[in-house]
Amino acid sequence: MSGPGQTLLERRLVIVTGKGGTGKSSVVATLALAGAQHGLRVAVVEVGLEEQIPGLFDPAAPPVGYPGREIHPGVTALRIDPYAALAEYLGLQIGVRGVVDLVFRNRAFRQLMDATPGWRELITLGKVWHLEQMRRDDGSPTYDLVLVDAPATGHGLTFLDVPRVAVSAVRMGPLRRHSGWVEEMIRDTQRTLLLPVALAEELPARETAELVERVREETGVAIDRVVVNAVAPAPFPSGLDDLDRHLAALPAETPLPGLPGPPVLAACAAHMRARHELNRHHLAEIARDTGLPLLVLPQLPEGVRNVADLARLAGPLLAAPEARAA
Amino acid sequence: MNSLPALVRDRQICVCVGAGGVGKTTVAAALALEAARRGRRTCVITIDPARRLADALGVATLDNQPRRLAGDRQSELGIGDAGGLWAMMLDMKSTFDDLVERFAPDAEARERILHNPIYQHVSDALAGSAEYSAMEKVYELAEGKEFDLIVVDTPPSQHALDFLEAPQRLIEFLDSRLVRMLVHPAFAAGRFGFRVFQRGAQRVLKLIERVSGVGFLEDVSDFLLAIEGMSEGFRERATRVRSLLLGSGSAFVLVSGPQRRSLDDAERFLARLEQTGVPLAGVVVNRVRGWPDGGAPPRQVPDGASRPEAEAALARALAARGGEGFPAEDAARAAVDCVDRYASSVRRDLEVTEPLVEGSRRAGRFAVRVPELAGDVHDLEGLVGVAAHLFPDPDGR
Repeated sequence: MSGPGQTLLERRLVIVTGKGGTGKSSVVATLALAGAQHGLRVAVVEVGLEEQIPGLFDPAAPPVGYPGREIHPGVTALRIDPYAALAEYLGLQIGVRGVVDLVFRNRAFRQLMDATPGWRELITLGKVWHLEQMRRDDGSPTYDLVLVDAPATGHGLTFLDVPRVAVSAVRMGPLRRHSGWVEEMIRDTQRTLLLPVALAEELPARETAELVERVREETGVAIDRVVVNAVAPAPFPSGLDDLDRHLAALPAETPLPGLPGPPVLAACAAHMRARHELNRHHLAEIARDTGLPLLVLPQLPEGVRNVADLARLAGPLLAAPEARAA
Repeated sequence: MNSLPALVRDRQICVCVGAGGVGKTTVAAALALEAARRGRRTCVITIDPARRLADALGVATLDNQPRRLAGDRQSELGIGDAGGLWAMMLDMKSTFDDLVERFAPDAEARERILHNPIYQHVSDALAGSAEYSAMEKVYELAEGKEFDLIVVDTPPSQHALDFLEAPQRLIEFLDSRLVRMLVHPAFAAGRFGFRVFQRGAQRVLKLIERVSGVGFLEDVSDFLLAIEGMSEGFRERATRVRSLLLGSGSAFVLVSGPQRRSLDDAERFLARLEQTGVPLAGVVVNRVRGWPDGGAPPRQVPDGASRPEAEAALARALAARGGEGFPAEDAARAAVDCVDRYASSVRRDLEVTEPLVEGSRRAGRFAVRVPELAGDVHDLEGLVGVAAHLFPDPDGR
């Protein structure tokens, strides 16, 4: 049975989704690193226009493009260019690469494809399926774990829904059959997990709740925990929770060498406390509205810059998720 | 000279652009509120507001109708009789249906489009169509002349200007020879000079059919045939929408946050906006951590005394107030530490947002930093607070 009992590394495919700005890519990169540290061969797939993942391992890394490159021992990254994937797919279908090249040079074909929705998602997921299916000579999977940095939430679901739509819109033929395979993989709750990434802020919290609800109602894809990224630590040590009030109670003119006056000190502390309470409020809200356990990742002061930063997040990401009472 | 007060005083359309999650909706709503307080009849079009903000604006339903804020709320907010605040939440799907309703040549064509299986799947997904729909609505409201100013919150999108570029893509698609071929194969085949193309196109069609199976192309072809009749009206309309948005009555405001990623996105947006000739008026950097008294943060904390000295003085002051058993020394250490961290985050936000702010001012545009507030903005009072930072100088009211 799927559930928080199964760790993130026990799946074959983890699709990471979240609103823009939630740090989805750093979660993907962290999971890739964690997988490699556990001896897994990991493939990381990006679908956006800009590559994020290689730069998170090494800020000087050149782009990997398609078909990709090993960016860290055990971690292969690629960015799926839909046209490259389509050419690869059609080449496999037709068997004659020259015909495919001819077709791709046709301007009208490009125009038609540019304007046709859905195929990019379908071909991308097709490539993901292919990565999951690839085998070595000894029959073991080429990649033990395939990670997808999916589009931002709204589009993320459309993305996962495309194979189903294709199956319903296309009546017969190879496209229908292949879409069926992809569809089957996505809905296999043992193999595949959708991992939402949220922030402890108002809009991401709400979007995550909506995403989880829609996934449950519409797609049947496994979803068993929520990552809440970049959560700031408590601003004051425990036992001093109302530090700002103590500062505010000091006479405004108290001489404090090297420090701003008590009202400014109190205002800084009060602001940090208010933001922290807001974070906690939204954490509780995400837990309540999704009914899912949370994985809380700490905010790093400088953001995620390199593989050392990823290593700091790996532990919390693989921890048993916390069930939080709202 | 561009400034926010001049913008809300003189322009008819204000488009807020920027990546998702930077508080674009809040900024758009606060701009509209301020314009209304300055005596203009203003409508804010929001795409996806936080629930409570939508409730506060009185637009909890997606009905594509501008709703006026209740009269007593308006007067509480200082909106006089000359001005007025309307809000509308856009249902992008229904707007696209409206488009079909409007441009389909006859009732039969309309029904064929709306019921075509391809349309039902594509209308949400048709590249940029949702973004374009938002602008369609703006045009419709601008034509209605009911409002002095329309403030638009644009949908977050990976391609900065989908809403401007989508109609062009749709038109190019409708005009493409492959589409003509699908719609009128006999016509295309009969024309001399199309022969070379035709061979290529037939190869493409064969290939598509081979992969997709028979039937799919028939649906596609039927869909295209049905929307072909829309092409003329749509083209003309799209051209007018574009000139309205790029005209002198419009102003674009780029909204960013202080996070590195958000600033990178803003730079990319900026390049695209300039390339397209969009009338960009200025930049709002939202949720920048600010120093409490509004001044510059100290260079370091403590500044001008050693840390032990500062902590000891603060501990003495806290002990004098805190009473017996209060851990004054721990509290002083924690307080200095917390203020130190906050000051460095304020310096960091100032520093990283400086290039965007400076660049904008050098280009003759405004640039405003809005400080991060202690709570979420989910009511009209919150918007008043944001507006106070957007318009620090209460002139013109």
